[in-house]
Amino acid sequence: MNELMRVEDLKMYFGGLKAIDGLDLVINEGETLGIIGPNGAGKTTLFNAICGVYKPTGGKVIFKGQEVQGQPAYVMARKGIARTFQISKPLADLTILDNVVAAAGVHEYTGMRSYFRKSHTPEVIAKAEAVLEETGLTEVRDKKASDVSLGYLRRLEIARVLVTDPELIMLDEPCAGLSNFAINEVTELILKLKERKKSIVLIEHNLPITMKVCDRIMVLSYGKKIAEGPPEVVKHDKQVIEAYLGEEDEA
Amino acid sequence: MFLQLVINSLAIGSLYALTAMGATLIYGILGILDIANAGAYLIGAYIGYYIYISTGQLVLAFLGAMLSVGLVGVVLHRTVYGPILAKPRMLSIIPLVAAVGLFTMSSDLIRLLCGAGTKAYNFRFPVDVVRVGSVTIQTTWLLIFALTAVLLVVLWVVLNKTKMGLAWRATAEDPDIARACGVNTNSAMALSYVLGYGFAAAAGIMTGILYNSITPALGEVPSYKMLAIIVLGGLGNPLGTVVAGLLIGFAEVMLSTYTVLPIPKDAVAFVVLIIVLLIKPSGLFGQRNKV
Amino acid sequence: MSAYVFSISATAAVFVLLALSLNIITGYAGQAMMGQAAFFGIGAYTAAILTETYHVNFWLALILGMLFTGLCGAVLGLISLRLQADFLAITTIGINFVMVALFNNMSITGASLGLNVTKPSFFGRQMGNQEFFFLTLIVIVIVCLLIVKMRRSWFGMALASINNDAAAARSFGIDVSRYQILAFIIGTAIAGLAGGIYAHRMGYIASSDFAFTVSIQILSMVVIGGIGTIRGPILGALLLSVLPEALRFVSDFVSDYRSLVYGGLLVLMVRFMPGGLFGSSSPIVRGSLWVFRKITGKGGAAA
Repeated sequence: MNELMRVEDLKMYFGGLKAIDGLDLVINEGETLGIIGPNGAGKTTLFNAICGVYKPTGGKVIFKGQEVQGQPAYVMARKGIARTFQISKPLADLTILDNVVAAAGVHEYTGMRSYFRKSHTPEVIAKAEAVLEETGLTEVRDKKASDVSLGYLRRLEIARVLVTDPELIMLDEPCAGLSNFAINEVTELILKLKERKKSIVLIEHNLPITMKVCDRIMVLSYGKKIAEGPPEVVKHDKQVIEAYLGEEDEA
Repeated sequence: MFLQLVINSLAIGSLYALTAMGATLIYGILGILDIANAGAYLIGAYIGYYIYISTGQLVLAFLGAMLSVGLVGVVLHRTVYGPILAKPRMLSIIPLVAAVGLFTMSSDLIRLLCGAGTKAYNFRFPVDVVRVGSVTIQTTWLLIFALTAVLLVVLWVVLNKTKMGLAWRATAEDPDIARACGVNTNSAMALSYVLGYGFAAAAGIMTGILYNSITPALGEVPSYKMLAIIVLGGLGNPLGTVVAGLLIGFAEVMLSTYTVLPIPKDAVAFVVLIIVLLIKPSGLFGQRNKV
Repeated sequence: MSAYVFSISATAAVFVLLALSLNIITGYAGQAMMGQAAFFGIGAYTAAILTETYHVNFWLALILGMLFTGLCGAVLGLISLRLQADFLAITTIGINFVMVALFNNMSITGASLGLNVTKPSFFGRQMGNQEFFFLTLIVIVIVCLLIVKMRRSWFGMALASINNDAAAARSFGIDVSRYQILAFIIGTAIAGLAGGIYAHRMGYIASSDFAFTVSIQILSMVVIGGIGTIRGPILGALLLSVLPEALRFVSDFVSDYRSLVYGGLLVLMVRFMPGGLFGSSSPIVRGSLWVFRKITGKGGAAA
């Protein structure tokens, strides 16, 4: 398998707090990597540091052989690293379709030049509609994002990612706060992406789903990797059970 | 000479601090930049004036004005700010627009009711000035010092030593959690308005006494200077406001004495503000980032 | 009588332009701008100084005034990147006061005496209210067309995204800072152009023409009309500049106590109708749409 992204010795400090402390990570093409760990382990911080929301304190992020660490979020998005947010960030005043159209313009936002390029061309709308269909959002196509339920908003996050034709999809707890029914729908969606050989990084608290979906799992605790391997191996790792799975089983 | 200037700047600075304190208390709780505080300042000066000329009692003028303007504040919170803040997904500038609306109304309202002319308190102490060595202090300034100190101590006691103050601090920290813990956040907000508008009214009367003239335009300069001071003070931080008020007073007096300013001294506050914000975008004493 | 109408219309037109300009910054880009009059003033003084002191051609002065104001707007845009909404609002109020103070103290702006501006000629004829009204009207039409085009472009999409959620906008490739600065440049440049027109029509400008209260007037027009729409600021500006004049025949109260009326309307609007009189959720707009459908017989209740 070809390597898509390599993270080397990544550090993200906030003052004295070492949220990510020397992390190494490899994501191969077509692979689904799960990241698990207790609350506060630094999972979302890792996403933010990779995607350019934060500037990493140290270390390297190599994407397709190119060093990209420290570049702003919008540049990462254009390079093909697309992420969803743990707390949905819909464009509330816009329709679901327009939300997806906005994301479809990922390579169009070039400053003043973008003034001279129409946004809602038939091609763009067709593309957005295809993604809506794929993510099961067609029925709410013309509703305002502020008027739809959380289940739709979670899928909207994924739809916005897909419409950018990303090389790497980073999903931050796509099932958080959803009902069992809605969780199944989102899981189906991720499995579909997996079938299409998309490269995915998934943060998810729901262990059975993570185990089912991921090829490889990395366990994070206090900003450090404490285990990594296929789901079956990680499941039986002693350190992991102590740090994470133990509590989770009781819950 | 220098010592004299320091005393002058302290007097002016403490007046600024008092003027801005109301807006600070309100921002601390509601996150509204209540420019209408300058309206409370204006209306307070007028109510105080009418009480003083009809009774001759300055203490009564202060109490009456602070109380009635404080009540106006509570009414405004109930009828205007509260409902606006309760609306979901509100543009961030909407409450500020409401405050600006109320403030613009206030000066015209006073002009309509009390006339456009200048009014004078004509309040005089038996002794005009006190001399300490080479330093001369106007007695009215001493009054301002004393009153500012008393009001700030009262504020400190209310906020730190009473149950109501605890509720206020809890609400300022996080209204939702405070509510969940059984704090009556509504009364904490009402307290903000009583104190906030009351303080503004007191500051208005003091300005009226100090310059011996009040006009419907009295609130104009404080309206923006106050904003500059509360931002410098870190938005919603009472102690920061006092320091920022003194700092602006000091900067104004010193700059207008020792330099030839290309701008009027009332604009100094904003020049200082803009410079400070460029260096430290959360204000001099801003610790937390309210979004 | 018709001279009077053109005088009012010319002023109203300038305010329509100002409301449209503020709407780009506050309505589309969602930035808290409270000092639009400062940029109106920068444009007015720049154009006036260019024609008076440096004898630059009127049309060129208008353009240069617009460009220079846009440049100042770019600086504010850069500042805005560092500030949260509340801080930005206060900073812009501050800029308004500082600019008025500068206009009132600098010798190049005529200090407290103000600046006399010679009215320009157009094909040998001195331009009066009528000519200025039509000039402003043409500019308004152009600006509206440009805004309509903007809303259909990726530029408009970028502003809408930023206005809704800047973090989300970044996540799909929008350079938020760049668009924020562009919105400031465009919005202030249009205000500057309005200033140049205003200065040459009035023949005299003073610092008080660009006071904070004028910023509030412009903001009132946008908010009362309907923020983030095109018709809102236009109708709001017309309403607020024509109404006091129209009511003058009944009573002087409204024109004498303009602040009271503006302030009161502002409070009532944000309290009860934050979308504005002519915004998309306004009962007035819905009502007239309903009447329109009834008359044309299209759709009916189902539509």
